[in-house]
Amino acid sequence: MDWSLLVPEYILAGWAAMVVSLDLFWGRLRKEQLAYVAAAGALTATLVSLIWVNDSASFGNLLQVDNYTTFFRVFFGLIAFVICLASAQYVKDRLLHPGEYYALILLTVIGGTYMAAAKELLTAYISLELLSFSLYVLTSYAKFDLKSNEAGLKYMLLGAFSSAIFLYGMSLVYGVTKTTSFAGIASALSGDTSGIAFALMLGIVLMIAGLGFKVAAVPFHMWTPDAYEGAPLPITAFISAISKAAGFALFLKLFGQALLPMADDWRWIIAGLSAATMILGNLVAIQQHNIKRLLAYSSIGQAGFMLMGIAALTPHGPSDPASALLLYLVGYVITNLAAFVCVIVYYNQTGKDEIADFGGLAERAPFLALCLTIALFSLAGMPLFAGFATKFILFQTAAQQDLLWLSSIAVFMSFVSLYYYLGIIKQMYLVEPTEKARLPVPRMEYAVVAVLIVGVLLVGLYPQPLFNGVENATSALFQITQAAAAASAGL
Amino acid sequence: MIPMQHFLVLSGILFSLGVYGVLARRSAVLILMAVELMLQAVSINFIAFAVYLAPDAFVGLIFAVFVITVAAAEVGLLLAIVLRIFRNQATANVDEVDVMRW
Repeated sequence: MDWSLLVPEYILAGWAAMVVSLDLFWGRLRKEQLAYVAAAGALTATLVSLIWVNDSASFGNLLQVDNYTTFFRVFFGLIAFVICLASAQYVKDRLLHPGEYYALILLTVIGGTYMAAAKELLTAYISLELLSFSLYVLTSYAKFDLKSNEAGLKYMLLGAFSSAIFLYGMSLVYGVTKTTSFAGIASALSGDTSGIAFALMLGIVLMIAGLGFKVAAVPFHMWTPDAYEGAPLPITAFISAISKAAGFALFLKLFGQALLPMADDWRWIIAGLSAATMILGNLVAIQQHNIKRLLAYSSIGQAGFMLMGIAALTPHGPSDPASALLLYLVGYVITNLAAFVCVIVYYNQTGKDEIADFGGLAERAPFLALCLTIALFSLAGMPLFAGFATKFILFQTAAQQDLLWLSSIAVFMSFVSLYYYLGIIKQMYLVEPTEKARLPVPRMEYAVVAVLIVGVLLVGLYPQPLFNGVENATSALFQITQAAAAASAGL
Repeated sequence: MIPMQHFLVLSGILFSLGVYGVLARRSAVLILMAVELMLQAVSINFIAFAVYLAPDAFVGLIFAVFVITVAAAEVGLLLAIVLRIFRNQATANVDEVDVMRW
């Protein structure tokens, strides 16, 4: 086994231990400086992981380090980098024990990366739990805040329930295929499956339910609004980014590699989930008056759009749906982080998170209002911004794979989402502020927002470089499947 | 030798009991116990499949060991959260933990 393949994760784990001990033993270190130390760790791991670009190596048949893994290493590393920087002020003002907070963020990245890198079910399960456990703790991190406690309890109870369901599905799939490796499952399913059809279908449905929980798909979304509202704000942003992205990384790997030969049997289930998710998420978002809850329901709606990418996978079709899904995921995460960092900045200075509190923000903090407006327009899918380009490609890909009805619902629901995003923008620009005083300008947070907004515009106007990266990632994903299919055809 | 079906039926029953417990119980600790029941059903499944279908490979047995380990970690974490809630609100009943409503 080539242990050097895991160097980025060693760095993250070591850095997490270092952050904890710095907090413990170096009393004079200012608390917000820990955020910069942790962010530097995330960035270092990201840069080191670039060594494996265009490489393909397997770690003891447990993990695959290829372009797909590298893509997610970079992606998750940068998410953690942004979240650490955005947490600095918030954690200093409102939370105890900053060392463990940043360490857990770094550990979450390891879990997410291994979900994308997993080559077999056990590794996938353990990394899923590493990601989830870190997020449970982070969600209930505000010890004396009743909302945070409650959010953690609900998130953890439903999370444990869903991972038990996911495991039962795994055990059934293991039982009928006699192997846990994705390639092995794919080749077992390429043959005759009529004798095992029932157990197999049950296993697949249970696995969809378990993963549907992670990505917050209807009807497994109940935890989302409460966890989002109760968790500390930077953690809300983190959950909305990494839990969803890692969930889809594993979803794509599991259904694009292991279960791809059965695609005709599960496509319609996912398509149905996708339709239900986008309709319910977007309709319920309309009546929210807390911005965290609104963003929670909007992220449920976005998960519905992303499920289209899974539903559009076909056994021998092109890898376009997977590429479109990853592209959408990147666009969504950048935009959503931009929106959340704006909300964090506002919350740090005022302690308010109701939508009505944003009244007249354009006069009090014009830059912040402009950035939030851009982010919300992009989430709604307006042209110029990331949301439009990525939505266009995803909807088009789905329509090409006989899912025109789903694409039509998606387009309609995008218009619905514009309505509630415009509600916030109306508050910021047309309502008179109750207080006139200008808000102070925190340089660090404004710089983060500015970089994210540039990212939103870049993905919206010039997506080609990103698209090339995504194509490389997904072609690595499907090379393995094709090799397995060829091997089983040769037998 | 006992046919494999017996183990699968047992695990199915355990799993269903667990699901029922999660849906019907109101105390966070009892819900946790029901989840443990579901996880043990999974372990039984894995061990039965490993012993009967793939006796020369240990994957299923290792899987069961990991499931048990993770379940233990889960208990620790959830009880910590429940303890926190109990200190702040003097209840472990999920019905009474309802600061947030949709």
